[in-house]
Amino acid sequence: MLPQFSYVRPETLKDTVKHLNVPGAAAHAGGTDLIGCLRDGIMQVNKVVSLNALPDLHGIRETADGGLLIGAMTTITEVSESPLVRRKYPGLAQGASEVAGPQLRNQGTIGGNLCQKPRCWYYRGEFNCLRKGGDNCYALDGEHLFHAIFGHDRICVITHPSDTAPPLVALGAKVRIIGPEGKRTIPVANLHVSPADNVRAETVRKQGEVITHIELPRPPENLRSSYRKVRARRSWDFALAGVALALEMDGDRVNKSRVVLSGAAPVPWRSQPVENAISNRRLNAETIEKAARAVVEGADPLPGNMYKLDLFKGLIEEELYTVSRELR
Amino acid sequence: MAEDGTIYYTNGLPVPDTPAPGEEPEFWKETDVVGKRTPRVDAYERVSGTAVYPSDIKLPNMIYGAILRCPHAHAKVKKVDAGRAEKMPGVRALITGDSPEAGGLKWKYRGYSGPLFDAHCRFEGEVVAAVAADTPYQAWDAVHAIDVEYDVLPHVVDHNLALTGKAPEVHDQGNLAGTDEYERGDVAGGFAEADVVLEQNYETGCQLHTPMELHGCVADWEGDRLTIWESSQGVYAVQSVLSGILGMPLSKVRVIGHYMGGGFGSKLWPGKYTVLAALMAKQAARPVKMILTREETFLCVGNRPPNTMRLKAGVKKDGTLTAFDFECIGPSGAYPGGGTEIVDWLVRDLYQCDNVRCLSRDVYIHAGTARPFRAPGHPQGSWALEQMMDDLAEKIGMDPIELRLKNIPSISQGRGIPYTRTGLKDCIERGAERFGWKDAVKRAREQNRSGSHIKRGVGMGACLWIVGGGGPPSTVVIKLFRDGSVNLNMGASDIGTGTKTIMAMVAAEELGVKPDVIQIEHADTGTTQYATPSGGSKTVPTEAPTVRNAAIDVKRQIIQMAAEDLGAPAVDLDYEGSEIVSMKDKSKRIQVTDVSGLKKRGVVIGVGYRGPNPKNKSVNPFAAQFCELEVNTKTGEMKILRFLGAHDSGRVMNRLTYDNQVFGGIVMGIGFGMTEFRQLDANQTGKLCNRNWHDYKLPTALDVPVDMESLPIEIDDPEANNTGAKGLGEPVTIPTASAIANALYMATGIRFTKAPVHPMEMRRRLSAGKEG
Ligand SMILES: Cc1cc2nc3c(=O)[nH]c(=O)nc-3n(C[C@H](O)[C@H](O)[C@H](O)COP(=O)(O)OP(=O)(O)OC[C@H]3O[C@@H](n4cnc5c(N)ncnc54)[C@H](O)[C@@H]3O)c2cc1C
Ligand code: SF4
Repeated sequence: MLPQFSYVRPETLKDTVKHLNVPGAAAHAGGTDLIGCLRDGIMQVNKVVSLNALPDLHGIRETADGGLLIGAMTTITEVSESPLVRRKYPGLAQGASEVAGPQLRNQGTIGGNLCQKPRCWYYRGEFNCLRKGGDNCYALDGEHLFHAIFGHDRICVITHPSDTAPPLVALGAKVRIIGPEGKRTIPVANLHVSPADNVRAETVRKQGEVITHIELPRPPENLRSSYRKVRARRSWDFALAGVALALEMDGDRVNKSRVVLSGAAPVPWRSQPVENAISNRRLNAETIEKAARAVVEGADPLPGNMYKLDLFKGLIEEELYTVSRELR
Repeated sequence: MAEDGTIYYTNGLPVPDTPAPGEEPEFWKETDVVGKRTPRVDAYERVSGTAVYPSDIKLPNMIYGAILRCPHAHAKVKKVDAGRAEKMPGVRALITGDSPEAGGLKWKYRGYSGPLFDAHCRFEGEVVAAVAADTPYQAWDAVHAIDVEYDVLPHVVDHNLALTGKAPEVHDQGNLAGTDEYERGDVAGGFAEADVVLEQNYETGCQLHTPMELHGCVADWEGDRLTIWESSQGVYAVQSVLSGILGMPLSKVRVIGHYMGGGFGSKLWPGKYTVLAALMAKQAARPVKMILTREETFLCVGNRPPNTMRLKAGVKKDGTLTAFDFECIGPSGAYPGGGTEIVDWLVRDLYQCDNVRCLSRDVYIHAGTARPFRAPGHPQGSWALEQMMDDLAEKIGMDPIELRLKNIPSISQGRGIPYTRTGLKDCIERGAERFGWKDAVKRAREQNRSGSHIKRGVGMGACLWIVGGGGPPSTVVIKLFRDGSVNLNMGASDIGTGTKTIMAMVAAEELGVKPDVIQIEHADTGTTQYATPSGGSKTVPTEAPTVRNAAIDVKRQIIQMAAEDLGAPAVDLDYEGSEIVSMKDKSKRIQVTDVSGLKKRGVVIGVGYRGPNPKNKSVNPFAAQFCELEVNTKTGEMKILRFLGAHDSGRVMNRLTYDNQVFGGIVMGIGFGMTEFRQLDANQTGKLCNRNWHDYKLPTALDVPVDMESLPIEIDDPEANNTGAKGLGEPVTIPTASAIANALYMATGIRFTKAPVHPMEMRRRLSAGKEG
């Protein structure tokens, strides 16, 4: 059952920030994550601040320099179906289309998708774990079939649930944030927080801050972007392992690359070893094999999720072979 | 009143002969209504939302119940303080173990009897207190305001540890809930005779009941009469449990369950929640609605227990099975629930084998009690047996289909009596042919040699279901009104399988009226007749012959009355379409609706009883299922390409709902084999990890193949009952997972002995190699 809360629907960003700038206030975009969190008692919220009446936060438009500006309140479906997104950043369109299921994509927003809470079953259940304010991580010694193999420092082993964040990071996207202290713009790559930095927060947003827009830079020439996701069932499920690629190609050579993994770490996980293995290389069997080996460098799997090592290897291999086949 | 003639569909065509009093009706040779694709009689109501399910009931002054449940796998309640909760706004009833209303009340389930509120909580989800308030929110707020002191105790939730001696004891008498031993022939001798002996361990996951409609009820008192609207598979079962617990005469407990949104075995009985609703309704002197939350149902309304099995099998080079030795352990849960019940039945009964030994040990653990789950025990046993059959076939170089065909038994060996009919051979043979087994195997082998990392496999499994013949008791009443329209009155529930539609079809067939002029009253202990719960795939073979008998009783009475009108002896008369005609003098005829006896009385009432089953014969449905799939050996992803279910369930009563059962059963089998498992936090708290529909993974539309085919193997079985129909709802989910496992083996060369095989397990085994 939901706790008691008050509900406001401000019409200006200024009022929104004011309403949110108190403890216990939470922004409500599509509500697909927030309402579940309230029902499960994951966070103490006494004021729900709807972002729905704000003008300007909906929709996708092309910027003067050839990039895109996506309002935070744009639905996941709009992102996945937008001809602009599909043409310029197919990786983002694919990421969005892999989110949850159709109903959730119709209701959930891209801003909410970046700010959603983790899906660890202890966290969502009746366990007062470290991230919720308790003393220990239940997943570490308990059931962690779906948990992280990178970046957890054995503190909190969630995987970041978003399927849009990895392609956004790979594409060099930024988020515009407005808050009590004004506006700031930061790369999506810096939005999320690792457990070592703060195990109680998922994003660097401070009290009262909202994301207003997502900026995508003009796609470089010969950009090839994609997102591929493996999950336990084919819909309505988070990534066991996923990979967002943003490759700048020159024939069969990869000039520059960004490779970001999902289902891997508490934050969208940029895999520098894979990038190093493929950048400035021809995408041949040898490169692909190296990249596959590189993807698990530095992994710290737990006894119950060792399978993810070969899964990521297989995934990278398959994805890169797909790219190399397209080149022929 | 309807115009003459419009009610009858026959337009003078024959309707089945009316047997003389005391004579059994003849087996239908041809049918006009039965067997056709007929949309559900209540399809519009269900789809449009006008059908009223227990969850939809709203009564004047109704209040809402909520239950406080023990959050620990094992604990003792030291103190319950409801002082704060009692004073909260809207609270009108509150009950704990200390309340006088609960005093002395016993909860009873499967031979177990214990206090309704047991301070010794043996599973997460045990009832500690309950509240009823004006709104559900107030009720839950009050539940959260009840302070309970628990003494948290060590738990065991892994059935494999229950008997090791190191585990805490769930009950004073220990953790062994029961042992079942079976032996026939000379097992050691059988193994000595064998050319090949194989032995393998198998494991299946715990599958949770997750029917669309939550468990729950509305309880209302009128003086000393209690009325319960319960989402149930059997209103008479609910009536009998409640009257037993509350010490009330059956006549004073009315249970209504017209519509219900699925149960799969978990709604064969009521729950403690039903009793609590009744008690609080009395306390508050208001109707109480008590619908559980999804999370609660994941904890406490049953499950298909996980099983650990070992099967040793011997075979001769020619395919003769010489011995089976089967062992199995599984958890009842906190209380008796049938942790290993009939898991061994397929080993005992499915294939010809003279020497068989089975040993099952049912254990207690600190987790929710099992309840029957669509074909209890069978998918688990099939998981072991059908994979073993494939392994044996491979070892002796025989096609797996051939090995099975070689071992079709002529009698039910588990019982030592013949089957009325067995379609096992036809299911396997005709199923394989329709599926294109040989080509599919060839195609898969070719693909697997091609070097692609996408591997292909085909697999099959066969089965029977231990019961499925139905049987007495059942009483059905049919009323024929003076305009020719019909009212059919039966106690059985339609649990979503289409029971009502089939019964209307049977009545229509027999009386010659259109199915849509038949009004059905059902599942109400106040107004309909006694019936056993809809479960065990026995509803159609139990109720359909009874409906037929009731219709025949109507016809006999009409003929008797027509005899007076026509001045001809009743023995000379029979139905011809909508008329009664003298066989001797065809000019003597009268419309049914003109029969003066009927016109005078306004209604003729026929009563049908379910006759006995054949003596010393067993009535069973049989099946074989076939599947083709692909495995991505880089990622562990799997894709089922197609499925075929060849089922012998006797006469096909309604092809539409028949096919729906086959498809639904396959979907559920895919869940059992590939996606679903209850995850307990065994090493820390014993609590349930996956308590929502995201973490507990049912297959979605994208996880099941578009290409599913139902191939009825229709074999006349006049001995089974007077309609020839056998059960279907459970066999459809038995061999699904084992067919998948066999296909996975062909694709990967790996034996997946642990179910479910999800991509995580697939990837793990691909890495670990064949032994893993
Ligand atoms: C069953 C299920 C399956 C799912 N599967 C997937 C999946 O496979 N992949 C995936 O990526 N996601 C998945 N999701 C998550 C889903 O995509 C998110 O719930 C959705 O994107 C959140 O968007 P929303 O607009 O509904 O956010 P809300 O629920 O409204 O908000 C989510 C959080 O973000 C905050 N917030 C929202 N908007 C802003 C903003 N503009 N600025 C600051 N804070 C904000 C809210 O305060 C809240 O804490 C799943 C969710 C469910 C329930
Ligand atoms: S992984 Fe994180 S969220 Fe999950 S139990 Fe551990 S600390 Fe809590």
